[in-house]
Amino acid sequence: MKCDQAARLIPLYLYGELGFDEEEGLEQHLDGCESCRVEVASQRRLHDLLDAATIPVDDGMLTAARLESRRRLKQEPRLRATWWSHIGDMFSIRFVPAPVLAQSLGAVALVAVGFLGARIMPGGFFPRSSQGDIADVADPVASRVRYVEPGDSGQVQIVIEETHRRTLTGHADDEPIRRWLMAATKDPADAGVRVQSVELLKSQCGQADIRNVLLYALQHDPNAGVRLKALDGLKQFSSDPETKQALTRVLLADSNPGVRTQVVDLLVQHREDQMVGVLQELLSRESNRYIRQRCERALHEMNASPETY
Amino acid sequence: MAAPAIEIQRMDESTLIRAAQGGDERAFEELVRQYDQSVLRMALNLLRSPEDANDIYQETFLRVYRNLHKFRYDCSFHTWLYRIVTNLCLDVLRKRKVRKEESSTVSTGDGEVDRMDAVREARAHGDPQRELFSRQLDGRIRVVLSELTPRERVVFEMRHYEGMRLKAIGETLGTTEEAAKNCLFRATQKMRAALGDFT
Repeated sequence: MKCDQAARLIPLYLYGELGFDEEEGLEQHLDGCESCRVEVASQRRLHDLLDAATIPVDDGMLTAARLESRRRLKQEPRLRATWWSHIGDMFSIRFVPAPVLAQSLGAVALVAVGFLGARIMPGGFFPRSSQGDIADVADPVASRVRYVEPGDSGQVQIVIEETHRRTLTGHADDEPIRRWLMAATKDPADAGVRVQSVELLKSQCGQADIRNVLLYALQHDPNAGVRLKALDGLKQFSSDPETKQALTRVLLADSNPGVRTQVVDLLVQHREDQMVGVLQELLSRESNRYIRQRCERALHEMNASPETY
Repeated sequence: MAAPAIEIQRMDESTLIRAAQGGDERAFEELVRQYDQSVLRMALNLLRSPEDANDIYQETFLRVYRNLHKFRYDCSFHTWLYRIVTNLCLDVLRKRKVRKEESSTVSTGDGEVDRMDAVREARAHGDPQRELFSRQLDGRIRVVLSELTPRERVVFEMRHYEGMRLKAIGETLGTTEEAAKNCLFRATQKMRAALGDFT
C-alpha cells in the first residue's frame, strides 16, 4: 500500500469503518511508515478536540423541551390506533346535526321502520348463527352482506358476515395463545403483527411446530424485519439439518443484504465441506462487500478456492 | 386499555410501540423518553442553536405522535425516528445555506451576544485559559461546520457524535453506505484542513 492510499483510509480506520482486508493492509503499511503513523496520531488528536467541542444537553433544557412537548401534544387529537381502529373507522357512521324538523321526521321514520321490521322479522333482524352464542364476543367491528335471497311469502333472507373483536389473555406458551400467535405470523395485512408474533414465539423455537413457523417466515415473509426476527429465533438451531438447509436457501435467495449478512455469519461458523460450494456460488453473484469478504475468508480458512473451475 | 405504569417501564421497545400504537399515551411518553435526549443533543450539536434545537425536538415528537400508527417495522424505530430528525435538521441547514446565516450570535442592546455562551460556560469550568482556547476552537469548528454541505454535516454528526455506523446512517438518510462513507471522508478532510494547527 502507498501513502496516498493509506491517507484515504486513515479517517475511516479511526472510525472503525474499514473492512477486514483494508484494515489489515493499512496496519501493515503503518508498521513500516513513520509519516503515516504521525498522520494517524494527528487525526486522533483532532478527534479528541472535536469530542471536547460537543455541546452537552443540560437537564434544564431537556426538562423544558419535555414540558413544552407534553403541552403541545395535549392539544393534538389522541394517539391514533392501528388497523383495528382503521377497520372501526371504515364502518363507523358520522352524524351531522340535522335541523329540528328533520330530526323529528327522522325519529318518526325510525320508529315506523322498527315497527315494520318487528312485524316482518319476528326473530330479530340479525338472527344468531347455528353455531350459537359466544359469551365473550363483543359487538361486530365490521360486517358485510354476503348475499340477499328473496324467500316465500315476501320474506327476504340476508346472510351477513361479521368480524368480531375478542381479547385473549395468557402466556405465550399457553396452548390457545400459542396457536393464535402461530396463525398471526402469517397475517398478510399487518407486518407489525407478524413481527410481534414471531418475537413472542422465538423463545419456544425448541418445539418443532414453532420452528417450522419461523422457518416459513424466514423464507417467505415479504418483510425483512419479520425475517430478521425469525432468524434471531433460529440462530441456536443453525446446526440442525433442516434449519441449515433453509438458511442456505435464504443466503442464496434473500433480497435483503442485512438478512444475508446474518445468515452468512451463522453458516460459516460450521466450516463444513458442503458449505464450500454454497459459498463459491454466493461469491459468483453477491454484490455486498462484507458478505463477499466473509465468504472469501471462510473459504480461505477451509483451504478452498474462492471460485469453481 | 392502558397498562399500569410499572408494567410500561418494564416493556421492551416493540411492546411499547405496539401499546402506543394502540392509543396508550403513557407508553408513548416512555418511548419518547428513551430517545428524546439524543434527539435534542443531535439537533443542538448540528444546529448549534438552543432555540432551533428545541424547535426540532418539538416538531420531531409531534410528527412521531401523528404518524406512529403508520410505523410498520419496515425499519427499526431508531432509524424511523432519526429519519424524521435528520430531515428536519437538513431542512434548517439548507435554509441557512441559502440565507448564509450560520452565526449563533444575536444583536442585543448590549451588543453582539453569542447564544451558545451559556452552554459553553459549563464546559470551561471557570478556567480563563481553557475558556479562551475553548472559544477559539468553537469559533473555528463553527466556521468549518458552516463550510460543510448539509449532508456532510449530518453524516459527520451521526458518525462522530452519535456513534452510528455508516450502514445505519445510509439507511437513515435513504442512501448507500458508500455514499455515507464518501460524505464522512470529505467532512473529515475539511475538518483536518481547518483545524490542523490545533492538533
